[in-house]
Amino acid sequence: MAWIGRRAGALLGVAALMMATAACGGGDTGNDDPNAKVTLSYAVWDKNQVPAMQQLATAFTAENPNITIDVQLTPWETYWTKMKAAATGGAAPDVFWMNGPNYQLYATNGVLAPLDEKIAADKVDLSSYPQALIDLYTVEGKHYGLPKDFDTVGLWYNKELFDAAGVGYPDATWTWDTFKQAAAKLTDKSKGQYAIGANLSSAQEYQYNTIFQAGGSVISADGKKAGYADPATIEGLKFWTDLIKDGYSPDLKTMTDTVPLNLFESGKTAMYYGGSWNVAEFTANEYTKTRVAAAPLPKGVKSATVIHGLVNVVSAKSAHPDAAWKFVKFLGGRTAAEQLGKSGVIPAYNGTQAGWAAAHPELNLQAAFLDQVPNAVAYPISRNTAAWQELETTYLTPAWNQQKDVAAAATELAKAMDESLAKE
Amino acid sequence: MSVSSQEAGAAVKAAAPARTSKSKGRRAEAAWGYALVAPTGIGLLVFYLWPVLQTAYLSFTKTGPFGGAAEWIGLENYREMFSDPEVGTALLNTVEYTVLGLVGVPIAVVFAALLSRPGLRGVAIYRTFFFLPVVTTPVAVAMIWKWLYNGDFGIINYLLSLVGIEGPHWIADPATALYAMVVVGIWMGLGYNLVIFIAGIQSIPKHYYEAASLDGAGPIAQFFRITVPLLSPTIFFISVISVIGSLQLFDLVYVLMGGSSQSSRANPAFPSTETIVYLFYAKAFQTNDKGYGAAIAMLLLVIIVVLTAVQFRLQKKWVTYA
Amino acid sequence: MRRSRVLVHVLLALGALGMVAPFIWQFLTSLKTLHHATQVPPTLAPDWRWQNYAQIFDLIPFGQQFLNTVLMTGARAIGQVLFCSMAAYAFARLRFPGRTFIFGIFLSVLMVPPQLFIIPQYEIIARLGWLNSLPALIVPGLFSAFGTFLLRQFFLGLPVELDEAARLDGANPLRIWWSIMLPLARPGLVALGILTTIWSWNDFFWPLVVNNDPEKMTLSAGLASLQGQFMTDYPVLMAGSLLASLPVIAVFVVMQRQFVQGIAFTGTKG
Repeated sequence: MAWIGRRAGALLGVAALMMATAACGGGDTGNDDPNAKVTLSYAVWDKNQVPAMQQLATAFTAENPNITIDVQLTPWETYWTKMKAAATGGAAPDVFWMNGPNYQLYATNGVLAPLDEKIAADKVDLSSYPQALIDLYTVEGKHYGLPKDFDTVGLWYNKELFDAAGVGYPDATWTWDTFKQAAAKLTDKSKGQYAIGANLSSAQEYQYNTIFQAGGSVISADGKKAGYADPATIEGLKFWTDLIKDGYSPDLKTMTDTVPLNLFESGKTAMYYGGSWNVAEFTANEYTKTRVAAAPLPKGVKSATVIHGLVNVVSAKSAHPDAAWKFVKFLGGRTAAEQLGKSGVIPAYNGTQAGWAAAHPELNLQAAFLDQVPNAVAYPISRNTAAWQELETTYLTPAWNQQKDVAAAATELAKAMDESLAKE
Repeated sequence: MSVSSQEAGAAVKAAAPARTSKSKGRRAEAAWGYALVAPTGIGLLVFYLWPVLQTAYLSFTKTGPFGGAAEWIGLENYREMFSDPEVGTALLNTVEYTVLGLVGVPIAVVFAALLSRPGLRGVAIYRTFFFLPVVTTPVAVAMIWKWLYNGDFGIINYLLSLVGIEGPHWIADPATALYAMVVVGIWMGLGYNLVIFIAGIQSIPKHYYEAASLDGAGPIAQFFRITVPLLSPTIFFISVISVIGSLQLFDLVYVLMGGSSQSSRANPAFPSTETIVYLFYAKAFQTNDKGYGAAIAMLLLVIIVVLTAVQFRLQKKWVTYA
Repeated sequence: MRRSRVLVHVLLALGALGMVAPFIWQFLTSLKTLHHATQVPPTLAPDWRWQNYAQIFDLIPFGQQFLNTVLMTGARAIGQVLFCSMAAYAFARLRFPGRTFIFGIFLSVLMVPPQLFIIPQYEIIARLGWLNSLPALIVPGLFSAFGTFLLRQFFLGLPVELDEAARLDGANPLRIWWSIMLPLARPGLVALGILTTIWSWNDFFWPLVVNNDPEKMTLSAGLASLQGQFMTDYPVLMAGSLLASLPVIAVFVVMQRQFVQGIAFTGTKG
């Protein structure tokens, strides 16, 4: 009998102990001894880049034997939910990937450590990166991250379907008109084949590009007003809704059931507006790896492609800020950039990009993505980008679904977005 | 330990009239009582009861995008909630889903009656089949149906096309998505209800049926005159459970609509399928507005209490307790 | 009579087909290429593409998530059976001041929808530093008002003579609970264990919210993370959903009788 009591008692004891240790858990503070053993957490969201990140971590530890890096992958779908929760609890990873739409929110709420002093002290030259990227990540004159990579958007196409339809491959001479003529020929409804999927849920790859090509804007330069009431912006949206109306794109319901990327990867669509980061995806996918190549986006009123990039940031609450900065500096350097280029994304460090394009000469990456940088327009952001991005999708869905005139939807969106911006 | 002082005090009170050895035994019994209740009691207190009060409190507060001290804002969250059209839509969707979901109850009763026919062979096999969806993770169930429902490549629309019907995009079309979700919900819960109804039917005394047979009542008449009335307490129990469960629908919406907030909102059917608990998730955990999320949870509590009370009121009209 | 029997079988067979057909189609699709699965008209013949299953292990740490789910489910089931039966025994058999009141408080927890607990539970877990950990999945699920209620009903239905006798022999309540009540209550404990198992295995909201690190996720959440804005590769999704459901289906087929009795039990006693 006694042992039963002991066992039950032990169980309770363990529970109490668990509570107690956990409660005292968060207390280990940073040690400033530069030679102390340190493990930094490094959060990333792209599975395709994990091996490259792992290699960089190893290379970094080889240079700094006392610092080990724990690369943590969180899928894109939950990355920001997790990050928000972690930052709320003061437990953000030491170093993590940051993108444009989330940057200002995190930077201005004290989640990120400001890096300007360290940049100055270590004489890091910010002109080694594309100016558009540095601008994107400057808030109130301060910098909270060092660029890792950048991306532009190009036109991916299925050579087999182009050949079958007798259409010449797209190139830098293509305009919206050429595109639409080709689209007509590439659509064959009897085979369930369409020219392109007019994706709604990836504005960066779709609407934003055509908006800029039409001479419109998403948000004013000062980040206070929406650009959606501008007729030029509406033209850029109409580009896509017309493709659906004319039957060159599957309707929104089809693209909901089967996402445009999968339609392209199963030969149901001949073209795909897609970011440069898709190199890894398309060269790994069995169907696309022998069939696709890339071209610059067709020109509207002018040529434009959305440029965006990621920075590596340091958590303001990191217990090892110096080690974390060391790692971020390493990731932003030339050696790391050259490594990164081989993993399928364009490194941000100037002068290392050609290596990225050369890794897959058959895809025509130089012309499609790198040569477009001079035409590139920065990804539109504000203080609380996520708030109005949700509005964009909500208000444009009826237009894409052909329930509502695109001009009316855009005007309503502009109003709602203005209200959201006023609250920032 | 606070428990021991509490129990000592209580025991003294209980033992006050007569200080005999019996009172000592009683005191020990009370001590054991508290000790045995303590693990669950403390757990419920910490993780369930206290949180309810905390949620009620949070619903009057606001926190920054990354937490920090909660700021008291009075009724602001509630005011925002009642002026937010999305809350209204989500509420209507939820109620519609709940009411339609009740169709699953009679379906389960019919199949239970069929499976309870005396001398029927293969009951165990049928039961296994009906029960499979119950033991399948709802997320997996939703994925399977998402594929079945696919407007272009789904098997349902292919089968319909064989008889000349052009099926819709079931879960992307605002006109059909909610019904499509109801079907999955019923399909998923059928086996569970079935098992409980079979147990209920088995406890109906056989002589009722024998007497009815002698009176010349056929199987269908017996079903309506004996099975349904005598099963009505179980039917009531299942209906209450079904309503409470449906009001909390989340998994199916999350997976069928596309997972992330971005893909859900790009689904044209989303406004006609978003439920109150999905909205709760989106606000409390995606937007990280815990105060507003708490207010939505309070609203849900009120709805559940009201609807359950209505059911208990109505039961007097149709439930027969033998 | 005969004809009606045939009719019953036809109806039941149709119903059963409706239950099984989706799983068959899931299996067939899981062995196709995306290209093949999206053909119109669809064909039945699979391509025997087992790589789809291998790809699941590539996309999510399936083994780890499986283990997490098993540990969460097991710990919750054992914890609830132990803790709830302790409390239930006390409520059913021991007299102590405030018993009715405390039991009433237990019952009140049953009336409240879980969404009312979740935000503060989440904050407790976050404050303990338990986000993305196994304890986050397990600890709040160890305590159940429902389980206590269910087992109390069961204990009330057991004859009092046995434990009275033990008590006269001088056994203390803990011992009576362990060596007399628990063996007698086996059917009730199994019922609660099975219900907790199904509930835990299928639980989605809580694991989704507390653990977003793929290594710490449960299968439900891991599976849901497979699909999204850029991923509706149905053959792979079918392979994943099949893999994630097979374990419980297997357990169910083996322990069918207990499952059915356990659930029927809640319907009649609950």
